[in-house]
Formats: sequence, C-alpha cells, structure tokens
Amino acid sequence: MSDAGGLRSLQEWLRAVITDPDGARAGLSSEAARRVAPGELEAIVRSTSRLSAGERLELYSRSHRMRLLEVMRVTYPGLRHMLGNELFDDFALDYLQARPSRSYTLHDLGAAFADHLAATRPDADGVPEAWTSMVIDLARLERTFAEVYDAPGAEGERLPAGADLPSGPGLRWLEATVEPVRCLRLLRSSFPAGEYLSAVRRGDEPPEPVPAASFLAVSRRHYVVTLTPLETRSYRLLSDLVGGARVGAAAAAAGIDRADSWRLVRNWADSGFFRSLAPHAQTATPVDAVAEEPVTP
Amino acid sequence: MAPAPRLGYPNLGLGVGLRSGHFAYLEENEPGVDWFEAIPENFMDSHGRARHVLELIAARYPVVLHGLSLSIGSTDPLDFDYLARLKTLAAETDAVWLSDHVCWTAVGGVNTHELVPIPFTEETLAHVVERIAIAQDFLGRPVVLENPSTYVTFVESTMSEAEFLARMAETSGCGLLLDVNNVYVSSVNHEFDPVVYLRALPAGRVVQMHLAGHHDVGTHIVDTHDRAVADPVWDLYATAVELIGPVSTMVEWDENLPPFPEVHAEVLKARRFVEAVGV
Repeated sequence: MSDAGGLRSLQEWLRAVITDPDGARAGLSSEAARRVAPGELEAIVRSTSRLSAGERLELYSRSHRMRLLEVMRVTYPGLRHMLGNELFDDFALDYLQARPSRSYTLHDLGAAFADHLAATRPDADGVPEAWTSMVIDLARLERTFAEVYDAPGAEGERLPAGADLPSGPGLRWLEATVEPVRCLRLLRSSFPAGEYLSAVRRGDEPPEPVPAASFLAVSRRHYVVTLTPLETRSYRLLSDLVGGARVGAAAAAAGIDRADSWRLVRNWADSGFFRSLAPHAQTATPVDAVAEEPVTP
Repeated sequence: MAPAPRLGYPNLGLGVGLRSGHFAYLEENEPGVDWFEAIPENFMDSHGRARHVLELIAARYPVVLHGLSLSIGSTDPLDFDYLARLKTLAAETDAVWLSDHVCWTAVGGVNTHELVPIPFTEETLAHVVERIAIAQDFLGRPVVLENPSTYVTFVESTMSEAEFLARMAETSGCGLLLDVNNVYVSSVNHEFDPVVYLRALPAGRVVQMHLAGHHDVGTHIVDTHDRAVADPVWDLYATAVELIGPVSTMVEWDENLPPFPEVHAEVLKARRFVEAVGV
C-alpha cells in the first residue's frame, strides 16, 4: 500500500472531530483530535465567503449524528415510545458513543444496544428496578425483530402444518422431534413486550407497561415478522424442542401432558415454526403414516 | 449507430433507485422502467423481504449496485469481507456494474457512515488508484466511482476535484458515475464553475449519471435526496449530456419518498435532454 501517512493523520483527525458527541466545535478541542492534529484548523480546511472552516465541519458532525440517530429510531420504535423522544435519543447517543459502528452496514448499528443498556443499568449494584428491566427487554425484543426480518427463513419451503401431525398423540408421538425454521427466536421478558411492541407498530397507544413475566416466539411468515405469546410451560416445551429434545422428554420437563403437547405442537406447526418433524422428517410425508408404527423401546 | 459502450458498460436508459418504500408497489406491479439501481448494503445480508424483492427485480430488469462502504479513499485496509459479499451479490443479481463514491467512510476501524471527502493531492491520488486496482482485481471488473457532494475542501489540495477524478479514472481504468446534482451542490458550496468541472472530465469514462433533489439553506446547499430535481440541475444535466453524451441516468430519492410512479416520472424528464442531442 502507498505511503499515506499524512492522509492517515487527516482522516483520524476528521473522524475525531466529526464523531464527537458534542459536535465539531467540541471535537476540534478534544484530546482525540489534538493527538493527531495535522495543524491549525484554518491551515487544514478552507473557509468560504459564507461559512467558516469550523461551520463546514459542523455540517458533517450534524449529519453523522442525525443519520445514526435516525437508524436507531427506526430500529427501536417501541423503546422510543416507552422512553419518549428526548430520553431515547440520550440513551441512543450514549450507546453510539460507547460502541461506535465498526460495521460496513447500518443494519448492525443497534446490535449491541440492549447489551449496552444492561451493562450500564443504574441499579446494577442493588435490587433490579422493574422499569429498567422492561427497557432492556424491549430493546432486546426490537433487535430480535430486526434480526428475524432479515434472517434466513422458510419462504418457498413446504412446511409441515398441524394437519400433517398424527391424528392424535399416540405413543409414537413422544419420540417426535422438530427442526425449527431458522428465523424462530424465543424470548422471555419481564413484561408483555410483544403486546407493547405490536401496539406501537400498529400506531396504537399501548397501556402503561406493567411487570409480568412473559414469553414470546418471534418468527417470520411470508416475509412478515410474527410475535406469538407463549405460556410459561409452553415456552419451556418449545425451548426444549428447539434445543433438540424429544416431545416426551420436553413435555415431561415442562409439566405438560401428552394431549396438550400434541395440541401445542399442532398449533405451532400451523404458525410455521417448524421445517420438519422427525422421525417424520420428510415434510411432504403425512406424519400419520409413521405414527402407526410400534414405539421404539 | 448505437453509442460505443463505456468500458464495455451499456447505456441502460433511465432508471430508478430500489427503495423499501416501493417494495409493495413493485411486488404488485411491473412498471416500464429501464433499469434499477440498488444499494448493496441494504440487500447483501438480507434473507428476507428485501432480498426477495431484489431477486424479483433482478429477474425482470437490469440491476446496478451502488455501494456506500467501499471507503476507497480510507487509509484503513480494504474490507475484503465486504468486497466478497459485494461480489456475491453482484453475481446473484447479474449486476451490470458496481459503483461507489470517491471518499472514505471508515478509518481506524470505526465507520462514520458519512461520505467524507479526501484532499486532492498526488499522495491521495496514488493511494486511491492503488486501492482501486486491488478492488477491481478482486471484483474482476472495472468499478465505477462517483463524485460525492461535499461541504469541506482542504488547503493541501493541489488539483481540482474534476482533475483528480480524470487522472484517477485514466490511471486506474475505473469508470465514473457523474452525479450532476452533486456537482451543482459542490459548485455552490465551494464556489466553482460547474461547467468548467464537466469539461475537465474524461467523457469516455463516464458510465452513469445521477440526478437528485437538494435543499438550499442560504449559506450552502444540502444534498437531501428528498424532492424533485431542481431546475439549475436539469440545466447542468443538459450541458453534461451535450459534453459527455447520453449515458445511463437515474434519480436518487431517499427521504419524503413519493409513490413509485412519481419518482419514475421524475427520471423520465431526462428523456428530452437525451433526445435533444439526437440519440
């Protein structure tokens, strides 16, 4: 690579000035800028008859700040609603400063927002505050929403539907396993975050969030992200199934009887959560045909 | 006789940028657009609707990829992970060419996501030409680079932007994407004559032109992409077509996005300028 030492210094200086959270004016006197300063401002950037060199740099600083904030606002509409515009922007700017983008794509910009909120929660040394937990949980859900929107999905595949399951939970049923679609994510939250986010995304005013353990399946059908609330035990069942457990073992661990496990899996199959059901691995094959076989010891 | 292709790249006609706000319309309709320009960063990591729509479009129309993250002017190493994804997307969409901007976006590993300008010096020219060669070698084709709209210039520059672009293109073999709106915006912001700028460009290397709307705030112009193309930009486009010849042209519209037919109608206004030069 060519020797571009002067260019390197200039670029590092510009980055320090443009990305300073308090704007270019503050950036110019920041330690980061002074460390690599290739000279006095007027000796680096030209002024025009209408704008000083500092004012021109401020245009980049403002554009940078607004562009990244806008991405955060679009990615986290629920959290913005919960916090209010001003507080959301404060949190987002704090995050962007602490974890500047290192990715070529703005799609990654908010990837660590929930982790950052969790790492900086003010109640870290004491009893967790419900409101703080709800903020973090909603951030995590909204990031998951964005991931699922772009994740590999099952559009174009023939997924097993509930009608493909055995007509009833015979003994063979307990041996069944599932392969989830690749866009399925399971979340637990300290409040009904799915209901809250759905209301905001519809343009409705959600009720004030109230702490209550809640569980959610986030998936996608026909390129539309779906949020499916789960009961505590069905969350446990689905988590274990997604982890590779057989229905019998997963249902026992969740305290769900055979009939209910059959009903739940049937509903989840209709929701498009599974690519296949094994030993009925072929999605085009009705699973009834296998359900009649003897149970393997 | 048809005009000679530039670097082997054809004149695709009048195109429109592929924007998510138009996905529903494009899934339901098949408008008579000559070609589409897609921003690869919006599609290369998508396995969802965005990618589905791009595949739909690529099956029906010629597609060009217009990137934001090549960071060709940066002193950071080129991002080969990004380049590999770009190359894959180009192959999968049968992209006619790949373009980006003469600027840097990331340095020290931190991405500003701004198109930050470079000083026009011999040092920068050598640096950029070297990186273009590496990128072109990796991508297996000439890249096409655009003049960005800028708000600062550097005291150390020893040549004009147009001269820099001309020498960059001639030395590296890359193509040029002439953003006519950006020339106009920068000419006001930096107080230069935009026609002199156009005359300094190597016409045969201009593969594509961009048009867009801007916002004049009095002290400077902001390249907003949020409205129709301004009259002075259409005038400059007419001059550009006279000097350079008709090339693939599209309108960039990103904010306050109107319905698709309105964006399409905006680029079709370019037709009279192309027809005026008799092609």
